[in-house]
Parts: sequence; C-alpha cells; structure tokens
Amino acid sequence: MTSLDWIVIAAALAAIAIVNWYFFIAGRRRT
Amino acid sequence: MSAPTTLSPSGHRERIRIPVSGMTCAACQSRVQRALAEQPGVSDASVNLMMETAAVTYDPAVATPERLVHAIRDTGYGAELPSDELSPIEEQEARDRAQQAELLTLTRKAIASGIAVVAAWTVSMMDVGARPYVLLALAILVMAWAGRHIFLRAYAALTHHSADMNTLVAAGTGAAFVYSLVATFAPRVFTANGIAPDLYYESVIIIIALVLAGNVMEARAKRRTSGALRALVDLQPDTARVIRGDQELDVPVASVRPGDVLLVRPGERIPVDGEIVSGRSAVDESMLTGESMPVEKGTGDGVIGATINRTGAFRYRATNVGADSVLAKIIRLMRDAQSSRAPIQALADRVSSVFVPVVISLSIATFAIWFVAAHVTGGTPGTAFVRAFAVAVAVLIIACPCAMGLAVPTAVMVATGRGAEVGVLIKGGEALQRVGDVTTVVLDKTGTITEGAPAVTDIVVAPGSTRTEDDLLALAASLESQSEHPLAEAIVRRATERTLARAAVESFESVTGRGATGVAGGVALAIGNAALMSAWSVDVSPLATRASALAGDGKTAVYVAADGALAGMIAVADPIRATSRAAIERLRALGLAVVMLTGDDQRTAQSIARAAGIERVVAGVLPEGKVAEIARLQSDGAVVAMVGDGINDAPALAQADVGMAMGTGAAIATEAGDVVLMRGDLGAVAQAIELSRRTMRTMKQNLFWAFVYNVIGIPVAAGVLYPAFGLLLTPVIASAAMAFSSFSVVTNSLRLKRAHLS
Repeated sequence: MTSLDWIVIAAALAAIAIVNWYFFIAGRRRT
Repeated sequence: MSAPTTLSPSGHRERIRIPVSGMTCAACQSRVQRALAEQPGVSDASVNLMMETAAVTYDPAVATPERLVHAIRDTGYGAELPSDELSPIEEQEARDRAQQAELLTLTRKAIASGIAVVAAWTVSMMDVGARPYVLLALAILVMAWAGRHIFLRAYAALTHHSADMNTLVAAGTGAAFVYSLVATFAPRVFTANGIAPDLYYESVIIIIALVLAGNVMEARAKRRTSGALRALVDLQPDTARVIRGDQELDVPVASVRPGDVLLVRPGERIPVDGEIVSGRSAVDESMLTGESMPVEKGTGDGVIGATINRTGAFRYRATNVGADSVLAKIIRLMRDAQSSRAPIQALADRVSSVFVPVVISLSIATFAIWFVAAHVTGGTPGTAFVRAFAVAVAVLIIACPCAMGLAVPTAVMVATGRGAEVGVLIKGGEALQRVGDVTTVVLDKTGTITEGAPAVTDIVVAPGSTRTEDDLLALAASLESQSEHPLAEAIVRRATERTLARAAVESFESVTGRGATGVAGGVALAIGNAALMSAWSVDVSPLATRASALAGDGKTAVYVAADGALAGMIAVADPIRATSRAAIERLRALGLAVVMLTGDDQRTAQSIARAAGIERVVAGVLPEGKVAEIARLQSDGAVVAMVGDGINDAPALAQADVGMAMGTGAAIATEAGDVVLMRGDLGAVAQAIELSRRTMRTMKQNLFWAFVYNVIGIPVAAGVLYPAFGLLLTPVIASAAMAFSSFSVVTNSLRLKRAHLS
C-alpha cells in the first residue's frame, strides 16, 4: 500500500462521515 | 402570551387533503410526510404516493392550509390548496386530467431520451474529432430537459438534509458527467497522471433514459390501478331531463337541485338520486351493488344516480345531488380507502428513510476498496481510479428504492378496486390487512342471512274447503290490506305479486296480539292465531299438525276463518337469502368459524341456522348482548368479523375486529363498518376475506422481492462476485435492473385485478 492508497481511504472515511452527519445529525438538529 | 403551538385551547381538529405532485418513490413520500408532521399544530399527516395526496389532521388555531401547502412546496414538490367547490367526482376528473398530462410529458421525454441513446451509440461508433462534443451536447439535452426534474428534486431534497431516489440517480449521473466533462476539455489532467480520459456521456444518457422509462411505466401503472375509481366517475351522466312547468328540459347534471322533478326513459342512466313520484320500472343497480338482477321500483321507491333504468319510464324527485349523492359518497369512500396506508407499509417507510445515506456511504466505501485493491494488485492509479469510479456509480444507480415504495400502495389500490367491482367496498389499507386475519365470522340473522322482510312461504287450504290457494290469499289480503302489521303486509304483497283482485272491505277490526276480524266481499273473516280462532269457536284441529311443523321450521302461521269455518292457513317467514347457504359453506371451506347471532327465540333460531348450515347459534340476544358476545369471542382469542346491516348493528360492527356492513340501495354508502358489502349477498363476505388474504400475500411478495433485489443487487454492483466470477455490473445494466424491479412489483400487484373470487 502506498501513501496514495492511504489518502484515498482517509478521504473515503471522511466523505462517509460527512454524508452521515449531513443526513442524520445535521438534518435532525435543524428541526 | 399566545397559546402553546402544539395544542389548541379548544382541541379542535380539522382534516384536509392536499394534492401533491412530483413524488416518485417512498423516499419522496416520507420526506413530504416528515415535513408536514414537523409543522406546528399538525397531529397526523399521511402522504400517499399513488393517489398523490397528503391527508393532514391539524389544529386550525395553529396551522393553516396555506402554511401546509407552503411546507410541501419547501420540500421541492408541487402542492395546491384543494378546491372546496369540487365534488369528489369533479376532483377525480381533475386528477385524471393531471395524471394524463403528466404521463404525456413523461412519455415525450422518455421517447426523446430514447432517440438520444440511439444517436449517442451511432456517434460513438464513428471515429470523428467532434465525437466528444456531440455526445456532450446530447448529454446536456437529456440532463437539462428530459431529466431536469430528477436534478431539481435531488437538489431540493439535499437542502432539506434528506435524500431520495433522485439523489442516487443525480449523484451517479452527475459524477459521470463531471468526470467526462474534465476528460473532454482538460484531458491533460488525466493523461498527466496516467489515467485514460474515458467518456461516460453515453452512460449518463442511457441511465436517464431508463429512469424515465421506469417513470413512464409507473405513471401508466398508476393510471391502471386507479381504473376502478375512474370507472365509477364515468358512471355519472352529463345531462338530466328536468320537468319545468309542462316542458321537458335537458340540463347539465350539475344544475339539478334537490326537489326538481326529472323524467327517465327506458335504457337511460338515472342522473341523480331521488324518489319516484309516478311510473314503474326495473332498475339495473349492478354497477354500484354488484347485484345482477334488476330491481323493481314503483312510486315512493328510491332510485340511485348512475344506475340504469331498464323497462319503464318514470318521473322522480331529486333528493341528493353533487357531493351528497350516493355515487359521490362511494367515490369519496373509495378514494379515502385507496389513499390510506396499510400497517405493513411502516416497514418500507422505515427502511427507505435511512436507505439513501447508507447507499451513498456504501458507494464511497466501494470506491475506496476498489481503488486500493486495483492499485495494490499492480494497476496504475489511472486504471484503478476508472474501475473504482464505474463500480461506485453502479452501486448508486442500482440502489434506487422505488420498488420498496410501490410494494404496498399498488397492492392496496388494485385490491380495493377489484373489491369494488364485485360489490365489496374496503375502507382502507388497515381494514384490508385485518380482514385477512379474521378467524371467526359472526352473522346477524335478520337482513343478513335472511332477506329481512317477511314473506308468505306456505298457503294451506283446509281439508274439505272448496277454495283454491289464490281464493284464500285474495280473501285474506282483502282484510289485511287495512292492517299495518308486518305479517299482513307480507300477505298483501304476495296477493299483489299474483295480481289477485281484492274484495271491498266493509268492516275491519284489529285484535291486538291475536290478528284481525272484519267483513270483506260479504264474507265474515277472522285472520290470526289459535287464540283468535278459539275466541271465534273455530276448530283448528284439522291443520294442527301442519301448524306445528311450520313452527318447527321457524315460520309463523296465521289461520283464516271464513263465515265461522276454518278456510285455511297462511305461513309467513323471513326467508333465508338464496345465496346464504352456499356462502356459509364457502366461509367454512376458508377455515373460518361461523356464528349466528339473533334476537329470536332458540327454536326459530335453530331452524334458520339448520337451513343455512350454521352450527353455532346464539339466540335471544339484544343489540347490547351482541357487543358482549363479540367481546367474549375476542377474549377467547378469535379475530372476529361481524356482518350486520350497518344501522341496528353499528355497535356490534364497531366492537368487532372487522365490521362488515351489508347495505342495499341507498344504504350502501353507510358510514358504519370497515367493509361495506354493497350487494345483499353473504357471498361477498367470503370474497372480501379471499381478496384480503391474496392482497397480503401480494404485499409480502412485493416487499420480499424489493428487499431481495437490493440485498443482492447492491453487493453485486459493488463487485463482491468479481474476485470469484469476474462479474461486475456497469452503471447502464444497474439502471436497467432498477427499472425492472419497479416494473415487476407493479405487475405483481396488477395480478390482483384478475384475482378469481368465488
């Protein structure tokens, strides 16, 4: 595994976290 | 200080139905529903995808219809204030027109996209320099015009922190488009990093074309599922012939007012509800009641709008028009039923609300895993990126939860429509689901198992009498025509049916509890029970054995004495409906326990039960007793369906798990009960139960396949079969699979339309 692979994995985890935060947490808080 | 926002000081609640446009799947529906439920003052909101309506219960002191409409529009869907002036019939017509227009627009867009697909294929086969630009132009056309609503709705959803099928399609095609755009105008970005500048315009065009084709199929299916409702609306004639002064005027039906006198000729449809003032005819009510035999009508009888006058011309006075008419009530009842939600739907709703974010997460994870896997197994970063990208897009596309959203509502719609065709009105998804769980059917006797009106069953001439049966009947009817007793009415009715001439009555006296005496046609008559005969010193012994046998059969016998001698005996009974016995056998064959409840004494009840083929009888119960008896059955674990007349039996219908009101004529739009049996025939009970069981089976199949489709489709799209079999779905195949799953669910529901009901 190269550093590029680690970057892709980290970016994917961050993206998943953002998606779930946006739809499940931010959405609830707004109401 | 204002009142608290969630509770009105009065606690007053109002209900409104708001037409909502633009919803395409369960996620859209749950989004609109959530937005409404979040509004202050709203206590209940139920959105129906198929009917495209939101039924909202709200506190008028806190919320207004305008604010509710605004809340729906905020979610990115269309909503209009319902018009008060429209009758259910006009409202349905308006909805039909809107649905037709939507279907036409969608079809046009789908065809255009189909042409774009063919053009894109042709262009990609040609090796010309302008190829990327032609494909780009086609993709822009398809995305910005044909698929515009997908992106607009996805955006609206996003701004509300929610996501639906449009989000998945928009994200998938949007990513492919942006990727291709960079590859077209800045291929160096890719080539410098060793990535081939591949174009995905074709995929974008095909995916949107397939989604549109799916939308068209759904819109067509929606129209077909509401066919039963449309058929009812089409029953309403356009014009009526009103008598004004001595003139006959053809006027639009909408301008007929209660009290107007109308003329109907043979073969014409009766325009509005009313009461016959002159003339006789046979009326075909099958379209509303499912009753195949025309019904005889004469002066004073009620007629129902939309039924067909068969044999004679008559004049009648309009009673209920517009929204109050029986047809309008049936349409309203059916519309509310179709827009209600079956409890099983909650499962689909729960899944679809969390589904889209989970799928997006899965898609991102798929991308990362594929990239790393392709890279560490020796691929260049470029090939790894391209492969990972295509797989991630396929996951987004295949996961559209459309099938899940359609699974239950399409089945409810088709089943309620099928029920109406055979004269069974099921009031909503919940009732539909409960009917299938019934284990015990409780039948009221009078008017349910029996006709509900006493009729002459036997005419016995006394031994040695020179009179014929008709003579005896005519004589009895002459005197009884002065009486209002139900037994007397039955005798008079039978004489009228046989067109017997009645003699003039010279004197008449009613003897309470015994019968009647008097002189008719010069003959001194006494008609009544044994006590009356003994008071008149008439010997009834020649007919005593026969009288006892008739009583054993549940019949009431009245003796007829003429000029001091016994002339004969007429037996009257509430006859069992011709269809009851077979219907009860059918219920038993379905594995149901059948119980008869009646206020009659044990002996009469037993004889009726025997004739109808019922083993369990509860006799001598008052209306309150019926409620207690049903509660007792329920405490024994039975799921009880009570079948009664909807008026006297209303409390028992309410106590039962399922109340089935048997209505005929104008009573068919009765408010009581969960199910209305429009035809006076117990066979409809078995049909309702069969229909419900089949519908539940269809719903479960639909949900199963919708889930299975996603459970299998998503991992396959993500490439779990790739290491073993080299199997991978392209985004295009994924979109075809998505369209197919919606289509199969709708088709499965439509099978209910042809359900064979015994």
